[in-house]
Amino acid sequence: MENPEQLIRKGVHHDGLKEGLVKAFLGSLTWGIVIVALLLFGRICWDGVPVLVKPDFPFIDVAFLTEKTETLHVFDDANAERHSLPASEYYQWVDEHGADAVFNAQTYSYSGGGIAGPIVGTALLTLLSIILALFFGVAAAIYLSEYAKQGRFINLVRLAILNLAGVPSIVFGLFGFAVFVLVAPVFTDVPSDRSLFAIPLGFTWLSFQGWNSSLIAGSATLACMMLPVIITASEESLRAVPQGFREASLALGATRWHTIRKCVLPFAMPGILTSSVLSLARAAGETAPIMFTAAVAAKDDFPWEGVSGPLGVLQSQVQALPYHIYTLAARIPTSEYTQRAQYGSVFVFLLMIFMFSTLSIVLRNRVRSKLKW
Amino acid sequence: MVSDPPTKAVPAVAIENLRFQYGDKQVLHDISLDIPSREITAFIGPSGCGKSTLLRCINRINDRIPGARVSGGSIRVAGIDISRPDLDLQMLRRRVGMVFQKWNPFPKSIYDNVAYGLRIHGKKSGTEIDERVEHCLRRVALWDDVKDRLKASAFGLSGGQQQRLCIARTIATKPDIILMDEPCSALDPLSTLKVEELLLELKQDYTIIIVTHNLAQASRCSDKTAFFYLGKLIEHGPTGRIFTTPQVQQTEAYVSGAFG
Amino acid sequence: MSDSSSSSTVPAGHPFRRKGRGTDGLFKAFFAGNAGLTVVILVLIIVFLVREGAGFFPAYRGELELYRKAGLEFVDIARKDLTAHEQMSSLLNRAYYAQVNAACRREFQRSQEATQVVGYIDDAVAPPRSALERVTEGAGEEGAPAELLKSLNARYQSLLADALAGRPGKGLPPTPHLSDEERAGLLQELGAREPLSTDEPALVIALQEQLAAKQADASEPLAGFRETINAFASASEDLDNLIYETGESVKATKEAATLHEIEVTKRDTLLAAVPGTKGAEERAQLEADAKAAVTTEPVDYRAALQPVLGRMGEFEAANARLAAALGEVKAALPSDLADEKAQRYLATFRKAEDEYGRELADTMPKMQAWDFEKPVGLGATISGFITGRDWITGGEWQDFYGIVPLFVGSLIIALIALSLAIPLGVGAAIYTNQLAGGRQQRFIKPTIEFLQAIPSVVLGFLGIAVLGTLLQETSMKDSFAWVPGFPIEQRLNMFTAGCLLGLMAIPTIFSLSEDALNNVPSAFAEASDALGASKLQTVFRVVCPAAISGILAAVLLGLGRVIGETMVVLLVAGNRIEIPDFTEGLGVFFQPAHTLTGIIAQELGEVPFGSVHYRALFVVGMVLFFIVLAINWSAQRLLHRFRIGQD
Repeated sequence: MENPEQLIRKGVHHDGLKEGLVKAFLGSLTWGIVIVALLLFGRICWDGVPVLVKPDFPFIDVAFLTEKTETLHVFDDANAERHSLPASEYYQWVDEHGADAVFNAQTYSYSGGGIAGPIVGTALLTLLSIILALFFGVAAAIYLSEYAKQGRFINLVRLAILNLAGVPSIVFGLFGFAVFVLVAPVFTDVPSDRSLFAIPLGFTWLSFQGWNSSLIAGSATLACMMLPVIITASEESLRAVPQGFREASLALGATRWHTIRKCVLPFAMPGILTSSVLSLARAAGETAPIMFTAAVAAKDDFPWEGVSGPLGVLQSQVQALPYHIYTLAARIPTSEYTQRAQYGSVFVFLLMIFMFSTLSIVLRNRVRSKLKW
Repeated sequence: MVSDPPTKAVPAVAIENLRFQYGDKQVLHDISLDIPSREITAFIGPSGCGKSTLLRCINRINDRIPGARVSGGSIRVAGIDISRPDLDLQMLRRRVGMVFQKWNPFPKSIYDNVAYGLRIHGKKSGTEIDERVEHCLRRVALWDDVKDRLKASAFGLSGGQQQRLCIARTIATKPDIILMDEPCSALDPLSTLKVEELLLELKQDYTIIIVTHNLAQASRCSDKTAFFYLGKLIEHGPTGRIFTTPQVQQTEAYVSGAFG
Repeated sequence: MSDSSSSSTVPAGHPFRRKGRGTDGLFKAFFAGNAGLTVVILVLIIVFLVREGAGFFPAYRGELELYRKAGLEFVDIARKDLTAHEQMSSLLNRAYYAQVNAACRREFQRSQEATQVVGYIDDAVAPPRSALERVTEGAGEEGAPAELLKSLNARYQSLLADALAGRPGKGLPPTPHLSDEERAGLLQELGAREPLSTDEPALVIALQEQLAAKQADASEPLAGFRETINAFASASEDLDNLIYETGESVKATKEAATLHEIEVTKRDTLLAAVPGTKGAEERAQLEADAKAAVTTEPVDYRAALQPVLGRMGEFEAANARLAAALGEVKAALPSDLADEKAQRYLATFRKAEDEYGRELADTMPKMQAWDFEKPVGLGATISGFITGRDWITGGEWQDFYGIVPLFVGSLIIALIALSLAIPLGVGAAIYTNQLAGGRQQRFIKPTIEFLQAIPSVVLGFLGIAVLGTLLQETSMKDSFAWVPGFPIEQRLNMFTAGCLLGLMAIPTIFSLSEDALNNVPSAFAEASDALGASKLQTVFRVVCPAAISGILAAVLLGLGRVIGETMVVLLVAGNRIEIPDFTEGLGVFFQPAHTLTGIIAQELGEVPFGSVHYRALFVVGMVLFFIVLAINWSAQRLLHRFRIGQD
């Protein structure tokens, strides 16, 4: 070899210097994002924790989680002491002290009481939508991974899944409004004027007049939105089950369906459930699809109050946390009296979402480490 | 261990008592070996005997693997210890080229693949690069096949052609030593033959170290052969002697096909 | 074996012979049906968007036709001049006041500071004061209960003491331009004030007088300019009256026509029900109702327009007066103004003069050529929707549905978001995947994943509650005055929305780019290292180019997410339906706007079902759907090419 001393570096290491600079630059970008993210969480916790946490037992403001949303009345009494009471307590107070004792009364909509209604509504919406999406999604995934052969139909389905995944949520809202709210079929004795068409069944009518804005319409819209995610994730889990399991079962003379039920689904189930928790978090966070299909800003009753039977629950409108936050943010001005409701709701909401997300990440890691074939 | 005395004064690569480990697992045990320049040295041995690891130590490409480290001994390339802290690693790799088992051209055009090494070493002039690319492609007998589609993707070539392209890419930077890690194991016999012819041709200008599973290939092309077993260098000497009159029983068993 | 089409069948009774029909086929059909559901949903989305949207263009065309026939369009031609004239005189007025105010900035600040102090104290003591007011007013003869008065007074005093010490809220406002004695005197006077007195303190009055005097002083040399402005502004009086009068007339025509149409529709519905009736009596009743439903005559547009068109001469005169005023003002305007801001307004006016003059000249030929019977084509309707610069709904004059302002809003916001998210997202992906150590990776990746989990409505809320205010307050600082568009006028604007959307797009771009980088075979990097490349050369010359289509796809998917996002823009973009004013340069980013998604979310809940407006929203949805579809499709194509390139 000629001049082996070339191998020894002399002077400043220019490449190393450049690398250090680029690394520092990109690193500061990255950590900038991380810091902004942490600041966001920090800000919400900073303002939200005081709402939810109390210094004395049981340390959590249970009332905020279990009371219904009410209008907040802020007023001074004769001693010019400031009171802020939710509507129900306000009227009690007025009954006791007389309307004359109220000075400088102001009202803040949706800012008093708690957020039990929105929490319950969101829980029902997500639960129902995940059930619907899981049922149809897993069935579709089984077809795709177990039965389907290459062909036009399968290509069409894959194309539809890909495209559905990209449809903006507001378009799903429009779709849910036009389909589930306005023309979905119902059984009714008297078809409405609005009905697209009605089929007489003898004892009743099957009328395409929609489900109105209701729990079921909102859940169905959300389910449509989650479907592509659930199908993709389920198919992945199903495909992860080794081919040998199926062949062994089929070789023993089991039918295809039996093989799927006993030798494929049980092993794919943990993966499917994990991914569904993640979509649950997504569905819970969506506002645009439920704006016109299910959500109301104010409601005095829980969905199950004042209705007949479980069908009545499905047909009732609900409050939902994301929509509640939208209402609080958009429709009422920020002031010291609305902060409790605003930051409290946001904090509880974010806590819920993060619990779901963390759960799904933990589950995912566990499933991955456990199920190795 | 039995080996012949070194033939030349300064060997291209001098390995002394080299120990190497992945994490806690020791994979090379006290290897000492001199590799003469302008000759082909073949590393043979059963799978997992450490021959590829040793090869990858010579240009320190093993640094890429987390947990891999030299735990004793030294490697000198042209008399320079390559573990010195002030070693110019990029210069070392430029002088010690490497061809991998699975051909790995970049997802670029044929021309850009060969020119890559020149460009990263600061060559800007177009004609200079053009000439060098043509020279290297001719050297690996690829020029006539690709001269009309230099701008086409390298992935369009056949496996053997891609491997020869990788060799061209390696010699483009004018290395002194070329390391070859089973360059033919994924090639069909015809392509293998072409690569072997190429090796013999390149020997005039380069020191070549080749790891191979293929005993016939080792006996066909190499001048020296080193036999490894379980991380130890068992025997080392001129190829003819290793294959005809091995002095260690394990070598004899291996070259006669009793195991491996 | 499975080849059942072969001629030989399994003999009866053989154990291999299939017994009955298997249920497997049923299961398969069931699962296939569910898979088909996705296709059905996609088709339903398209069908219903098109179904609700398809009716839009004919209906809108009808509205536009009525707009023309009733003569509203005619009046609007003239109105354009009026609007332009108003804008021009407003420019001059702004220049004038900028000049005057520049001269008395110090007096203005002093007066304002004093007023702020008074306002602060007043706010703090407002509750007991207004309580006292009500108690004393409602007290009547015997006077208010002494006990109550006493407690309220005590409360007032304690709050006042607090406020004077600057305890509540952010503390007493600073008064850098008042001397210490002035401030002390003001506070003392406020402290000594009777609870019910709302008299202004002496200092405030004095300062106001000083300000007025200074203003008078400053405007004296500008008196000529003022007169010029007034003369120019008053030149539009004739046109204003004319437009008001003819406007009322054509509006009445339009209302009559609309009423007639509603009645006719009602009659037709009733008549359509006639064949379905059973008894003759019922039928007669229906027919009578139908007849009674129409109470108005069809409108004779020609006759109704006659008085309007007859005033063409007056329009001409008014137009001429405007043109003359423009000529006069050109000559009479001062060549420059001392104040920089005033000078800028004046320069803008100068620049717009010619354009305005041309517009004035164009108006009369246009009005004369105008023909109320010229039909509105469907093509013109569609292009009116696509290129329309106004989205005006719910007005009593005329609704316009032009998608341009919404589209431009969406586009600019997406531009801001992406110009933030691409460098940050891709840079972070390169750093995390190629340069960072394992421990950093384990922290960065989950944090950014969590960022993705934040629901958009929460980000929107934060935009309103935190970011908007923060940006606005920062922009007020003098040290940032050089930034174009600062200080920001609207707290909620495109920039705020773009920042938040950028934050939303970062995780998408980051994780997809990271995947793409991760999928680059390590053999490439190894080969590059073996050739003696440095780390940076390997990363930027081999790994990144190999992952480029994946990164591009990530950017496109991020764009799709940004364009389709609703809640953030609805809450934060400011919701002003107007094409942003591009003359502001880069300051355009700090203007409020409305978006394709936001308009649907905001208006769908309020429009009557089946109306033109309702259908217009579905057309917007359709446009949105196809834009996002096209973006996603190109992203998939890129990814596909990428996968092929790897093999």
